Amino acid sequence: MTLYEKITTLYTELTDADFAPEGTIMLQNDSDGRGDYIKEWNHPTLAKPTQEQLDGVQ
Amino acid sequence: MTISIKPTASGSTIEQDGSTILTVDGSGNVDVANNLTVTGNVPVNNTAPAFFSYPSAAVSVSSATPTKIPFNLTDFNTGDYDTTNYRFTPSVAGYYQVNAHAYFGTSVTDQQQVWIGLYKNGSAYMYASVQNASGNDNLSPSISTLIYLNGSTDYVEIYVRHGQAGATKDAGSFGRAFNGFSAFLARAA
Repeated sequence: MTLYEKITTLYTELTDADFAPEGTIMLQNDSDGRGDYIKEWNHPTLAKPTQEQLDGVQ
Repeated sequence: MTISIKPTASGSTIEQDGSTILTVDGSGNVDVANNLTVTGNVPVNNTAPAFFSYPSAAVSVSSATPTKIPFNLTDFNTGDYDTTNYRFTPSVAGYYQVNAHAYFGTSVTDQQQVWIGLYKNGSAYMYASVQNASGNDNLSPSISTLIYLNGSTDYVEIYVRHGQAGATKDAGSFGRAFNGFSAFLARAA
C-alpha cells in the first residue's frame, strides 16, 4: 500500500484537490531510496499522521 | 581624424579625435566603447555549462506523489550535472534554457492527467500537464522554459506525477528514446 493510499484510508474526507500541486498536502519521492514521504502538510483541520498511524494502516 | 594610443597607469587606451574608443586594463580585459563588427568567425573559449541526460531505467510513481526522474546517464555534460542526485547546479550565473520530457510507460486511463515539474532548489517552480482524452494511452509530458540560476547554490531537477487513485505507474521508460533532461546557458548574468 502506498503512502497516498494509507493517508486516504486514514482520512477518507480528503479529496484529489488536497494532493494537487497547489493543494494542502504534498507528497514526494526523491528517487534516493527513501521512498514516498510527506514533504508538506498544510491541511487546515486534519493533523499530519504519525508514523505509527501510517504503519497501522492495512 | 586623429588616432592616438595612450599608455595609462593601469593599461592603455586608443582614442579617436580625443575620445576613447577602446580600453585595455592591467589584466588584459578589452572594453570597446561602441559597437564591434566582426566579418569573420570569432573563436570563443566557451565555459558555458550544458548537458543532456536520460534515465537508464523507469521509476515507479505512486498516485499524487511527485517523483524525481533518475536522469543518471548523459550524452554530454560539461561538468555541472550530477548523475547521482539527478540535478543541475551550474557554476556560471545566468539565464538557462531548460528542457525536459518523460514517458509514462504504464498507460494512463481515460481523462487522467500526468504532470512534469521543473523544481528549483527543491520546490516546484513550474508544472506542465497533459490529459488523456479517451481510452488508455501512454503520455509524455514536456516542459521548456528560461530560468535564472545564480551559478553557485541554485539547482534544478525534474519530477513527474499522476493523479490516478490507487495506481502506480512507471515513468522514464525506454531511456533516451523517450526521455530527456537538458539545459544550457542562454545568457550570462
